[in-house]
Amino acid sequence: MRNRYIEAFEASQIADKQLPEFRAGDTVRVAVEIAEGDKKRIQNFEGVCISIRGEGTGKTFTVRKIGANNIGVERIFPLYSESIKGIEVVRRGKVRRAKLYYLRGRKGKAARIKELRK
Amino acid sequence: MEFIVEKIGMSRTVSVPSTAVTLLKVKEAKVVELKDNGKALVAYSNGKKFNKAIEGMQKKYNLSKEFNRFVELTVANAEAGDLDVSAIEAGKVAKVTFKSKGRGFSGVIKRHGFAGGPKSHGSRFHRAPGSIGNCEWPGRVQPGQKMPGHYGNETKTVKNEILDFNPDTGIIVVKGSVPGANGALGRVRIDK
Repeated sequence: MRNRYIEAFEASQIADKQLPEFRAGDTVRVAVEIAEGDKKRIQNFEGVCISIRGEGTGKTFTVRKIGANNIGVERIFPLYSESIKGIEVVRRGKVRRAKLYYLRGRKGKAARIKELRK
Repeated sequence: MEFIVEKIGMSRTVSVPSTAVTLLKVKEAKVVELKDNGKALVAYSNGKKFNKAIEGMQKKYNLSKEFNRFVELTVANAEAGDLDVSAIEAGKVAKVTFKSKGRGFSGVIKRHGFAGGPKSHGSRFHRAPGSIGNCEWPGRVQPGQKMPGHYGNETKTVKNEILDFNPDTGIIVVKGSVPGANGALGRVRIDK
């Protein structure tokens, strides 16, 4: 259990954050605000969420996508960061683990995740 | 103005860029006797320590049982009573004094940041301090030579920017880190 004062301090910062519920295996589209000089723009990063870790303001999630030339690209985002302008769940995945690090060793068809159907 | 604080722990903000913050809790304290040049005798509670000397002080100043520690601090109070914490709200920079974590007898890498030698390839020089001086002249080690020894458990003061203060809970949020372990007691000095 964490200290209640730390919890209260962090809860006050993340109280008004509206985030969709998602878990490892889901395909998400993250809108990240990028500051270039004095201009700001929003860039999307879409991929499979392979891990969610931490708690409070330090909570982060990792998104993995296959970039150009079949290079795997992973980005770790702080979940409650002000630079995250929105998270959209594109597809729900059916997985049996909380951390999908095994995807790093897989290529092509083997790296697919089944869609969760209810 | 000085205050007795307890180190609660560290956290971070969600702003961009995010900053590491330390939470300090101002101990409930009572000014019991004003002295000259702005100082005062302040009582606060820490642990269960109790003896006849403390009992006598509590009787003298009409204090309840839990106030078992006494310390002289610079205060803003004009008369005895609860410690005036308004200076923290107005303050920008805090000088935070704590006892640093004790590290025991430490080598030069931990204690002085020496680089050390290669770990492998038969270098035979790993974490040792190396040469500590010259030869027959001067025939002694220069004073102040950095060597292994006791490290930590000493009073350290750092300057931190005050980001937030909540008078209800007594929580000060300062930017950056503060020496010492979580739960330790220290002092915060606010000049401006």
